Amino acid sequence: MKKIHVTTTINGKETEFLCELRQSLLEVLRDVLMLTGAKEGCNNGNCGACNVLLDGRLVNSCLVMGAEVQACNVQTIEGIATPQGLHPLQQAFLEGAALQCGICTPGFIVAAKALLDQNPKPTEHQVRHFLAGNLCRCTGYDKIVRAVLQAATS
Amino acid sequence: MAQVFQVIGTRPIRHDGLDKVTGRAQYGADIQLSGMLHGRVLRSSHAHARIKSIDASAALKVPGVEAVATAADLPESGDRIAHLGEGAVNLRHLSSNCLARGKVHYKGQAVAALAATNPHIAEEALALIKVDYEPLPPVMDVREAMKDSAPKLHADVFTEEMGQLKKDKPSNVAKHFQFKLGDVHKGFAQAAVTVEREFHTATVHQGYIEPHNATAMFNPDGNVTIWCSTQGAFTVRAQVSELLQIPVSRIKVVPLEIGGGFGGKIRVYLEPVAAVLSKKTGKPVKILMDRAAVFEGTGPTPGSYIRVKLGADKTGKLVAGEAYLAYEAGAFPGSPIGPGAMCIFACYDIPNVLIDGFDVCVNKPATAAYRAPGATNAAFASETVVDEICRQLKIDPLEFRLKNGAKEGTRRADGPIYPRIGMIETVEAAKKHPHYVAPLAPGSSPFPRGRGVASGFWFNIGLKSSVTASVNNDGTVSLVEGSTDIGGTRVSVAMQLAEALGIRAEDVRPVVADTDSVGYTDVTGGSRVTYATGWAAYEAAQDIKWQMLEKAAQLWKTDLDNVVYDKGVIRAKDDPAKKITFKELAEKIQHKGGIVVGRATVDPPWPGGAFATHIVDVEVDPDTGKVSILRYTAVQDCGKAIHPSYVEGQIQGGAVQGIGWALNEEYAYNAKGEMTNASFLDYRMPTSLDLPMIDAVIVEVPDPKHPYGVRGVGEVPIVPPPAAIANAIYAAVGVRMNELPMSPGRVVKALAAKK
Amino acid sequence: MKNFTYFRPTTPEQAVALLENRWGNTELLAGGTDLHDLQKEYVAQPARVVSLSGVNALAGIRVEEKSVRIGAGAKLADIANHAELKRLFPSLTDAADQIGGPQIRNMGTLGGNLCQRNRCWYFRDEHTNCLLKTGQRCFALDGENKYHAIFSQGHRCVIVNPSTLAPALIALGASAVVQGPNGRRTIELGRFFRAPGANNEREHVLEANDMVVEVTIPRSNLANASYEVRHKQAYDWPLVQAAVSFERGDGGVRNPRVVLGHVAPTPHVAEAAARSITGQAVSEATAGAAGRAAAQDAKPLSQNGYKVKLVEVAVKRALIIAAGQKRYWEV
Repeated sequence: MKKIHVTTTINGKETEFLCELRQSLLEVLRDVLMLTGAKEGCNNGNCGACNVLLDGRLVNSCLVMGAEVQACNVQTIEGIATPQGLHPLQQAFLEGAALQCGICTPGFIVAAKALLDQNPKPTEHQVRHFLAGNLCRCTGYDKIVRAVLQAATS
Repeated sequence: MAQVFQVIGTRPIRHDGLDKVTGRAQYGADIQLSGMLHGRVLRSSHAHARIKSIDASAALKVPGVEAVATAADLPESGDRIAHLGEGAVNLRHLSSNCLARGKVHYKGQAVAALAATNPHIAEEALALIKVDYEPLPPVMDVREAMKDSAPKLHADVFTEEMGQLKKDKPSNVAKHFQFKLGDVHKGFAQAAVTVEREFHTATVHQGYIEPHNATAMFNPDGNVTIWCSTQGAFTVRAQVSELLQIPVSRIKVVPLEIGGGFGGKIRVYLEPVAAVLSKKTGKPVKILMDRAAVFEGTGPTPGSYIRVKLGADKTGKLVAGEAYLAYEAGAFPGSPIGPGAMCIFACYDIPNVLIDGFDVCVNKPATAAYRAPGATNAAFASETVVDEICRQLKIDPLEFRLKNGAKEGTRRADGPIYPRIGMIETVEAAKKHPHYVAPLAPGSSPFPRGRGVASGFWFNIGLKSSVTASVNNDGTVSLVEGSTDIGGTRVSVAMQLAEALGIRAEDVRPVVADTDSVGYTDVTGGSRVTYATGWAAYEAAQDIKWQMLEKAAQLWKTDLDNVVYDKGVIRAKDDPAKKITFKELAEKIQHKGGIVVGRATVDPPWPGGAFATHIVDVEVDPDTGKVSILRYTAVQDCGKAIHPSYVEGQIQGGAVQGIGWALNEEYAYNAKGEMTNASFLDYRMPTSLDLPMIDAVIVEVPDPKHPYGVRGVGEVPIVPPPAAIANAIYAAVGVRMNELPMSPGRVVKALAAKK
Repeated sequence: MKNFTYFRPTTPEQAVALLENRWGNTELLAGGTDLHDLQKEYVAQPARVVSLSGVNALAGIRVEEKSVRIGAGAKLADIANHAELKRLFPSLTDAADQIGGPQIRNMGTLGGNLCQRNRCWYFRDEHTNCLLKTGQRCFALDGENKYHAIFSQGHRCVIVNPSTLAPALIALGASAVVQGPNGRRTIELGRFFRAPGANNEREHVLEANDMVVEVTIPRSNLANASYEVRHKQAYDWPLVQAAVSFERGDGGVRNPRVVLGHVAPTPHVAEAAARSITGQAVSEATAGAAGRAAAQDAKPLSQNGYKVKLVEVAVKRALIIAAGQKRYWEV
């Protein structure tokens, strides 16, 4: 089947790619663009490991067709840090030991960024509510929630 | 006297952290090789069936499909046992678990695999592989499977009855054993209170977020390289070697970052299959599992039936204990019934004990290790009965544990006498903890609230570890280890090297190496890495120290006896002016005297075992049966906490897995033996919104054998939660939950039955 | 996933023109949270996918004098967070806010929520050919049915309708504006759903070449609320949901509507509960009685008897929330 040509913005840079229609944005990022920071945990929207920001909104990239991001703005974990340094969330995750195996970490950081972008001073409950679409099996969430709250103070 | 540390007990940033918070860390699924094919596995749609034939001809005609593999491509493995570090496995069964030979024993068992130029082509072509099955009746429940009339999974599995193989007729019961201590009849005769209860627990999965994956490249010269997500690169090498009958020297296993394992990534599933497909195609082949395959096709931990009887005299001293444990092994013998039976009364000093254990095959996936394998099921039963005895005797449950708790010198029913352990210390710390002395945590409702406590035990293991450590000329040390880092062990191992050398943790550069680049190292499991690989790092540091002393002695033209190593500084005993830091010397020897490389291999004695005591406050909505966790405190003896943040993380994560097991998680099966909830959505692991903060309390009773007193921390925190929560539910609403999970429907039913 | 061809129309009329008059070969793609999942599981295998991402007319929430109009393409998160909707229709915004996690709410749409496929585990299993595919029978009827319908007398398939917005919208008297090949028509949401009972039937009354373009809710001062009982606090389907609305009057509750979710193949209107609470002041006693009335005709299957009790609780609590009374289950 013919591939489709897509032009989009990824982490601030205009990007072109070819994809099959059945390739999800997650597959495009990982297999076509070699941006492997977004992870596949379930491939059906239940774990959040593949989170990206699509036009500023948090989505599961496994449930978005690659073809549908034509003319969109996609931000992935690779675009969270700047050449000047880590994002406060990344720093807080490191200092707060908010990761163990690390597979869910990119998704959590992208989700937490989406939260802080819209609510810079969330309560613990708001953090827990917003992160409920991200599964972590290692940490019990304690240190993740603390790291997000910590990043919100910085 | 307690040791004084400079590095141990601090909280440096983990060395691999930056890569993991930026998405740069390379996990198994991230690998891309040129010309790589994508493999997919066809899985059985039947829980129990004979495979009459497999016809892949149509699939092979699909453009892009390059090869198909079935059991016919694997050499026949004999009945040999391979030890995997945490558990052992019969190679014939392991082979059939990778690609079914002759029969399928569970829905989701791998039957065939193919490799194609793209994963979608591979996935679609699977449907064209025609498998002709002769369906057989499945048996899904452990007690059903034990009946003579039950369908038999294997014609060649016989009961090993107290060590004797009963070859008269095949049985689903692969093993029955007993542990005996004292005389239970006499013991119960002394009891003022006796409580006997039955328990059922559901099959649950480790639930790691990263699905299994393997990429193999089989070169024409017979050498194969495998990239994968594993808890043990060397155990993958050994298994692939045995299953494909190629020498270990021909296999290089490159462990990539591992996205969680909890015991479930020790046994191989995809690695030999990828290797076979690579051999057939001459190209690298990558196979990723999807989430449904992880649930249906990899080892969960067993469902179980347990009966516990405990007796105490009127002073509250335990006098006798009896337990009957039947664990579902799944498709092939090998449930963690052994450790389950050893753990069931392991927290207590009971003079008279009789424990019966049964390993039983059922038509579910072959079970694998899951964090303290077997112990959580057992503790749910025993710790609930202990609570009932405390209630009947009106004794505070922590006082009861102080009175009966195991300590140095206590004999466990399966034989061992405990060395220095910290059970009592965890109970004392729990008793003093603000949680235990505070009123019940405020709830979000006026509904009944209750507090429960439970304790748990897990052995922790030693096993083999190797490291090498090269001194760089800038005074840093490159540390090469064979233990895959599943949750922060690069840093905890590096810290022990740093402590021993008197340098900073940041000055150690830890690397997890492939099987060609480091000495043999056992699995990351059994809570052993910080203990054993950390010990190896300590020994490698001693090796470095001696070499550095030699270099200093040469430099100062003095005797080796005259130089000492003191916290990163080398001094001459006879001349206070002669001193040089580790860093300065490292730079100097670059020019003069050569390179220093330390190395060590260890196979240390096992640590003394880990104990935990948990306190939980719950709220029970009597209308909906929903149980909410209001406050949770997990106290654990960690020996010595090397990096307290990651120790807390292990405790918190383990406790939360236990909470999920307690309240929601289970494999749901239909009558045909098909799992009906094989997705994260329907399996119901806890989310952040389902939990409070988990207060992790570290108690340190150093293990006297380990150079820094480490005991291991990873596993025991999963053991107490189901029992602690069940006890809290009883405290709240007066019903004894005897079945896991304690989901809303079950709690409502139990409440209705009480009325 | 089977490959497919893809269309990205820019108007509802164009979109509908791309549909076919039979189900299955062409599917509408809105948020994708359900369709892509079904495609990945080979439960849906469309050859053609018509994306609505280019149809800008479907977005938007407009609060007008007489009614509130919500575009079928409105995201669940936008509904959940809309200040005016929160004030007017907390039953709807609460229901929207409890769906999935924020990612799903950012992707899922109102139209998709109404038209999504059911969650029956037999239906969702690629290898089970149930009545709603091309099979002969419903396997849940006498199989694993702990999450299935308790009001399903006479139905050949015992799914529960998965939408949690639908009960709230039905209780609020909302209607769907539907674009078909011959123009638009309005369907009351109370008549929008049906119990599928034969091969290839869907959970609603739309034709295969129809699509929802908008939902309109009459503006009113109805007291309203939705309450869900779930296993988990988040990312979970309700076991039972109750949505209620009523007029507040001096003589107590007037014109109440009680609509249950996740208990029947369609949102289930509990008329007995409405009769029970009519003319009463809402209290724990009267709300409890309404809850019992709601559950009285339930005929649970072999494994879901526990849901009967949950219906009583959900109705009782929804009434108490709607009445603005002290939530006895909270402190």
